[in-house]
Parts: sequence; structure tokens; C-alpha cells
Amino acid sequence: MIKFALGLCLLMLVACTPAQTGVLPYIDLSVRTPLPQAAPAELAHLRVGVAAILSPQGTVASYSHLAEHLAEKLGRPVDLVQRRTYAELNDMVEESQVELAFICTNAYVVGSEQFGMELLLAPEINGKSVYYSRLIVPADSAAQSMDDLRNKVFAFTDPMSFTGRIYPVYLLQQMGQTPERFFQRTFYTYSHDRAIEAVADGVADGAAVDSLVLDHALQRNPELAARIRIIHTSEAFGIPPVVVPPTLPPRQKAQLRDLLSSMHEDAAGKEVLLELGIDRFVAIDNAAYDGVRAIVHATGIGE
Amino acid sequence: MSTRNPSLNRSLHVAPFPSRRLNRWAEVVWRVAGSVDVRTKILGMVLALTALLGLAVTLQVRTVMTRVFAEELENRGISVASDLASRSIDPILLNDTYTLHQLLRETVSNHPDALYAFVTDDHGQVLAHTFGDAGFPAGLLDSELLDAAAANTHGDIRHWVYASNEGIVHEMIAPIMAGSAGVVRLGLTENRLQTVVNTVTGQMILTTLLVALAGIVAAMILTWLLTRPILDLVATTREVGRGNLQARAPHWADDEIGTLADAFNQMVSDLDASQRAVTEKEQARFELLKKLITAQEEERKRIARELHDGVGQMLTSLMVGIRTMQRAGNAELNAGRMDELCTTAGETLEQVRTLSRELRPSLLDDLGLAAALERYTAEFAHTYRATDVDLHCDLPTRLSGPIETALYRIVQEAMTNAARHGKASVLSVLVNRRATTVQAIIEDDGAGFDVAAVRKRQSSVGIFGMNERAELLGGTLDIESGPEGTTVYVEIPL
Repeated sequence: MIKFALGLCLLMLVACTPAQTGVLPYIDLSVRTPLPQAAPAELAHLRVGVAAILSPQGTVASYSHLAEHLAEKLGRPVDLVQRRTYAELNDMVEESQVELAFICTNAYVVGSEQFGMELLLAPEINGKSVYYSRLIVPADSAAQSMDDLRNKVFAFTDPMSFTGRIYPVYLLQQMGQTPERFFQRTFYTYSHDRAIEAVADGVADGAAVDSLVLDHALQRNPELAARIRIIHTSEAFGIPPVVVPPTLPPRQKAQLRDLLSSMHEDAAGKEVLLELGIDRFVAIDNAAYDGVRAIVHATGIGE
Repeated sequence: MSTRNPSLNRSLHVAPFPSRRLNRWAEVVWRVAGSVDVRTKILGMVLALTALLGLAVTLQVRTVMTRVFAEELENRGISVASDLASRSIDPILLNDTYTLHQLLRETVSNHPDALYAFVTDDHGQVLAHTFGDAGFPAGLLDSELLDAAAANTHGDIRHWVYASNEGIVHEMIAPIMAGSAGVVRLGLTENRLQTVVNTVTGQMILTTLLVALAGIVAAMILTWLLTRPILDLVATTREVGRGNLQARAPHWADDEIGTLADAFNQMVSDLDASQRAVTEKEQARFELLKKLITAQEEERKRIARELHDGVGQMLTSLMVGIRTMQRAGNAELNAGRMDELCTTAGETLEQVRTLSRELRPSLLDDLGLAAALERYTAEFAHTYRATDVDLHCDLPTRLSGPIETALYRIVQEAMTNAARHGKASVLSVLVNRRATTVQAIIEDDGAGFDVAAVRKRQSSVGIFGMNERAELLGGTLDIESGPEGTTVYVEIPL
């Protein structure tokens, strides 16, 4: 009887053992090889730098179609290159690691002074190539001006950002204040869309952001309007430009300028521009950035 | 049912299944189970049940744990991989290899089941990994192996399983930005969960063994409790078999075995009582026999004395008278003598008749019980003048000789006892015939006596004799006695 019961148990044991379905493939993890080097590209890639005005994902979402459009027109692959800070991207432009860059106004002001960064074109929106710095607070905040943000938490975008850092510091300077004394605490978000989110989520009590980014975000995401409030808009400044390294061959510079400035002339290009929230690319004069230059030099930061 | 063939009988005994093979098995099982003692049976049952239960529960728990852990591992892997994929986006887009590397390393070190993680770009180039400086496992770059393997998909995350030198590995493959920025691959090992399952299984088997051990102890106590009274009963039975009727089985508990012991004890006790009754009766018979022999000698002595003193004297006086008449020859004188002699002869004859009647009343044979009792009553009244006797005899026909004799002697004894020992003043004798029996009731108003005590002492041969006479004919005899008198009931079947 005992043998019979044990036999039964053994049978159950065999029946209940979890069966691995089929024969598993085998990989010996101890067999290591050095990683293969990437094969050199057959065609030279056009490297397009985009400053972290938007978050990396936002940049990819906005600029990937532009990159595809350029690749199609140029007949060679286009790589979007991003870096965390404006300074890093400026370095890449200086060292010609990118052939084309979409950067912030201050980055241009600094770059042109430091290594002769060259203006290529600038976006035009509603017939103007200007933008503003807008001071935003959470919708439920009682603040009406910069003065009301005393002892609050303030979000800067990038140390080199004109609208996101230099302009608000300039405002404080006019009030005879410094961020360190005026605010309880400040932090960097390293992009304008993150700064907007930080204010909307109440992480920051205020932030100064690029009007182009803010308007675009409000257009794409209407419920955002219920979560933030604009308490101040600056005077008009020259719009963030498209630049090239000073070493870029003139033929290539001309090719890129022609390509970009004629984009609005065909339907596919128009669609790409619409996604970027601009009407077309136009030539711009260095003098358009004198307003920015004056404030940068007045604050003496971000250089 | 006849037992024509023992083996056939046995197979009939255990044939609960419709299949012959099953029945053969059942027979084998029964033969093994039946041949061991109760102790082994109980021990076997307890052990088998404990082992069965323990193993079943262990297996169940093991199966459930393995399944739950596998699901949990998969879910955790999916969530970690998806988290990694979303957190890898920025470092990849910003070309921040160091942050990517840190992210992977921290993720792997924070998850005990994570074996490795690595990120490839959209061209399959490895951007960062956690394998260190010793190189990258060549097998993981084998895209053919990966494509051929079976995989589950959870949303956009692929889950596939492979065997490796580090055990079974579950790999989660999560696309980064829908694959446009590459994929993150996270390897999870089952080893830790397997260890937990094995530890729990080991613990449960250990528990089962401990419970089985406790079961053995419990079974031994149970067996002792069950078999001890049975063994005691067997020992008592043997003792009784050897003739010791004083042996009693101990009453262990108020259960079936206790009841059995009680019934057994009752049986032995009844046996003892009946054997004692037989012995007592034998003793009484022995006494009766002794007294009968003595009484016979006494009766012979009395008859001899009566013959010598009464009849002998009278016959001597007759002989002397006749001799005197011979010598005298005087006719006139002799005439007077003759009358005297005649009277003496008549008295002698009367004495001989009385003697004869006392020995055996011829009336009983000639005219039956009623007449014999009437005559006896008359003589009784003559002998015991202080006692009034009232006799009612309702016997329309004669009874058989033995019954008439027995009843006569019983009535005679009862009446003598009433007058002699009870000093009764009124005696009523009632004899009547019923449908199948004849009944006699002898009632007096005498002093009475303790019937049980007298019977127990076997001192009264008379009472024992009455009893014996009634029982010999299949009848019964009851005596009720108290201060207001004694009643003897006799009933004899016809």
C-alpha cells in the first residue's frame, strides 16, 4: 500500500514538473568578442546640430521631417545631432563637427564673437523674424509681475539661453537684484518645453521661455493654456538663427542656403515648415541681434 | 455460501472492480495489507497519508510558485525594460554614452534578477552595455538566432527565453522611440527565483518529514490504544479457557472495544454463575443421596423396631396365650381367652396394615390422588390436632402414576413442614387440573422462613426433594414465605 502511494506521488511529481516548452536556443555568455566597429558610411552624412531649445525627444519630433526632407533633396543621409547644452553645440560648430546648426540667439552672439560663427538664414513667422521672452507662472499663481516671484522657485532653461536665462536676469538687474538673492532657489531644465512643463506641474513658481516654443506648445496642446499664465512679454528680439561653421566651403554654404530658403516653394517643404511652426527661411542681417547683444553685455553672463 | 474452493472464495472476497487486472492488483494489495498486523496497517496508513498530503501540497506550492514567479519575472522584466527604453531616449539623442552606461549599470545592479542590459542603435551597433571590459557575448549579436526564437510580445516589448551557461535567461527587447533610436535588451535570470522555489520545496519536504515523524509517534500511540485492550481481551480469553472464571478483561474506554470487554466479562460472569449453580445442585443431590440412604436405614430401623416391639410383642403374647390354652384345656376358661387372643390378633393385623400404608399408600394406586390425599388429610388431622386442614381436590380423571406420586409426596412434605416447623393453625390445600398442567397450592398461616437462605444452605432435604420431584417431571415449584405464612406453588405439565 505504501509503495503504491509513493508510486502515485512520483507519478504526480513527474506530471507536475514545469515543462520548458520545446528546446531552448543556447547562448554561451562567457564567449566574448570585442564589439565590431561601425562600418564607415559610404556617403558622407550631413550633420545638422539642433540646440536644446526643445527637449531631445521634442527636437526629434520637430526636426526629423526637416532632416528627411534635406536628405531627400541633397541625396545623402542627414543626422540630427543634439547636445545637452548650448555651449556643447557651439563647440561642435566651432570644430566643424556639424555643418548646419539651429541655435539660440545668445549662442550666435557668443559664437560670432568667439570664432566667427556665420549666419546662414533665419525663420520668418507672420512676416517677421522676431521672438520674445515670456514670463510664465502656474495658472493658480497670484503673481502679476517678476516682482511677485520674490523668494519663489524659478526655472532657467540653459545657462546660455537668451530668453530662458539672460533676459530674466536682465529684468532682475533692472530691479537691482540678482537671481541668488531674489529667488529662493533656481534650477536648469536644459530645454524650453521642460521649463513650461515644470511651471505647469508646479515644480517651479515661474520661468522665462522662448515665445516660439511656448506658442507652438499652446497651439499643439490647448489644455496647457489652462495650467499656465503669461505675466510678462519682452520686447521683440532677433529670432534664433540658422548658422554654419566659418570653415564651411562657400559652395556647400550656398547649396544649403538655396535649399532652405526655397523650401516654402514646394508642397513637401511647406509641410515640413508648418511642422516647425515657421513660414519660410529668410536672409537676416547681423544687426538684427544688436538688441540681444546689448542685454548680453549688460548682464555680462552667458559668454 | 459453501466454500468449494478457498482461492475462488478469496478472489470473490476482494473483487470490487469490473476489470480482472484491477481485481488481481486489489487481491495482491489485500494479501500484503491483510498479512501485516494492525500496528503496521495504522502506521502505514498514517505514513502514506502524511507523505501523500505533504508531497501533493509541496508539488502544488512548487507549481504555483514557479508559475507566479515566472509571471512576476516577466512582468518585472517588461516594466524595467520599458522604463529603461524611455530613460535611454535622452542619453541616446544627446550622444551621452556615459549617462546611458550609468543608467544600464544602475538598473542591472538594482534588480537582483537582472543579468545584463545593453542598448543598440537603429543599425544594431551596441551603444552601451554592462558586460565590462572583457568583451561582448558573441551569441547575443547573432540576429539569426534571435529571429528564429519563439517570443511573446507585450505591447511593443518582445520576450524570449534562451538557455545559457548562467541558466535560463529571459530577455526583454524594448524599442526606444518605437525603434527609431534603437532597442534596449534586458537579460533576467531565473536562478534566484529557482533558488527560492527550491528552498521553499526543501522546507516543505522537511516539514513533511517532521510531520511524518510526529505521525509515526501518533500512530504508535494510537496503535497501542487500539491493540492493548484487544490483546488484553485475548489474554483474558485464554485465561478463561484455562478454567479461571475469575479472570476479567479491563474496561479501557467507553468505545466499541470497551463494550466488547463488558460483554465478554458479562459472559464469563454468567458462565461462572451457572457453573456455580451446577456445583451447588450437585452438592444438594449428593446431600440428598446421603440423607436418603440414612433415611432408608432409619426407616428400616423403625420398621424393625415396630415389628419387634409392636407386632413381635403381640405375636409373642398370642403364642403365649395359645400355649396357655393348650395346657389348661379348660373350655370355659379358654372361651374367654379366645376372645382376648382374637382382639390381640386384630390389633396386630391393624398395626401391620398401618405399617404397610405408611410405606406406600395403596389407595394412591387403587383410587387415585384425590382419595389418597383425603385419607392422608384425615390421618393428618388425627395426628396434628392443632391444625385445621381444608382440602379441595378438583381432579375429574386420574393422572399418570409418576405425577400422582410426586404431587402426593410434595403435598405430604409441605403439610408436614407447615404443621411441624410453621406451627400453622390453618392449612389450605388446593389441587386442580388445568388444560395442560396440574397445579397444587399449599397455603398455611404459620411462622414462615427465609426461603433463599434455606435453599442456599441446602439444609432442608425436604424442600430440595420437593423441588427435585417437580423438576424431574418438567414442572416448577415456587415457595413464598413471610411472617403471615407460607405458600407453595407446584405446577407440573401433563
